[in-house]
Amino acid sequence: MSQLRLLNTSLFLLITFFIQESLISRIHFPWHGFSLYVSVLLALLAFEDRTGALVFGFIGGLILDLAPSAVSPFGQWALAMTFMGYLFSLNREAIGDFTDRPLAFVSFLSVSAAVAYLTFLFLGLLLGQTNGGFGFNLGVIAVNSLWTFFITPVFLPIIIKVRKFLLSSRDLI
Amino acid sequence: MAKGGSDRSRLLLVLLLVSALFLITLDLRGVNLAGGLRSGTQTVLSPVEGFFSRVFSPVGNFFGDVKNLGNTRKKIADLNSQVDKLTAQAAVNEDIAGQLTQLKGVLDLAGRGGYQVVAARVINRGSNSTFKQTITIDAGSTSGIEKNMTVISDAGLVGVVKSVTSNSAIVLLMSDPTFKIGVRIAGSQSVGVISGQGGNSYLLQLLDTTGEIKKGDVLIARGSEGNRPFVPGVPVGIVNTVQSNASSITQNADVDGITDLEKVGVVAVVISAPNQPARDSLYPKPQPVVTVLVTPTPTPSPTK
Repeated sequence: MSQLRLLNTSLFLLITFFIQESLISRIHFPWHGFSLYVSVLLALLAFEDRTGALVFGFIGGLILDLAPSAVSPFGQWALAMTFMGYLFSLNREAIGDFTDRPLAFVSFLSVSAAVAYLTFLFLGLLLGQTNGGFGFNLGVIAVNSLWTFFITPVFLPIIIKVRKFLLSSRDLI
Repeated sequence: MAKGGSDRSRLLLVLLLVSALFLITLDLRGVNLAGGLRSGTQTVLSPVEGFFSRVFSPVGNFFGDVKNLGNTRKKIADLNSQVDKLTAQAAVNEDIAGQLTQLKGVLDLAGRGGYQVVAARVINRGSNSTFKQTITIDAGSTSGIEKNMTVISDAGLVGVVKSVTSNSAIVLLMSDPTFKIGVRIAGSQSVGVISGQGGNSYLLQLLDTTGEIKKGDVLIARGSEGNRPFVPGVPVGIVNTVQSNASSITQNADVDGITDLEKVGVVAVVISAPNQPARDSLYPKPQPVVTVLVTPTPTPSPTK
């Protein structure tokens, strides 16, 4: 992976994060909400090779740790997303097949979003955080997955195009 | 070759996991890396949030309005007749007028309580990924706002200032499941604790075993030492349903929040509270009910 690619993909994630924090968070989605940033990050991880999934999982998690409203220790999302990157890298071949089937791919992303949130909450539990009741959090995660399922198809083609644009000529080979 | 690639990936995975754990350990041991970075992010974000707040304020509740579509068909039909008369400027004016009404209400409440306040606009809501219910306001440390100050609306309590930058602050909403506040019932003075439940409904646990709760009771903040994080006398909620559980030692009740946190647009941060607490003077006064008494009087039927 080239340094340029590392830099421009991180920049793309940072811009998506700013859009999430300043614009998407303003929309009052019924029954909690939707994270554009988490969906975009997971979609990117799904397209990456093993190294890319791990590195961008870590960087994407670090960016998510910057959320001003977060009270979790810095690095918790990085740990959760590195773990997600590892899971994606393990299932690399299966994900490759999913990209030919959009519905299955979107379902996979929405389940992945739920797993990412559950991992984050589980780590929080280990670190002694209080994040509200189990049922409440489960509701937040379920609704978020549902929104991910419905909204991701809208921007997925854009993600694919942006990713192709971000790939260096060496990566394209 | 393939084995070499796999080993490299494994080494990378271990390296990244150790890095993440190192960052978490640093944070938990008090190295304030996150605080600086997050407040830096907030400083960068707040002007953008302010811009989007002005641009998208009239459409912020779009999804909430869609959710209630079934209940408001008649209202929509009535409004349709007025659509032609409205212009974009009118929509913006309406939004500003709404904010002014809220601001007037907030200042009225603060004036009655004798609180010294700083008014602020809500410019954003907290990210879903943090599992915290927060709002961002457009006033910060330059306006005298500090951490752990009480935030009120025109109706009552909104939450507590969680973090502050120079020109913005993040407020933890009272609906957050981790939010707890000591309250007393206006009138009977029984004390209890209210906990956030994630929505506009709250749980009241009465600490006084002999006290009684009834539907319609107004709950007032008891206040904290040094007025941080809660100033006394701020209305918090109204009892909706009393839970009857014979096996429970304490009485519980479901409480409706006094502030509709979904629609709050203007708030005030209490900078200082008066030496004399507001006691029960701030809770909403009951509306007078006019009772018409009719005394039937026998009238003889006309006889022919």
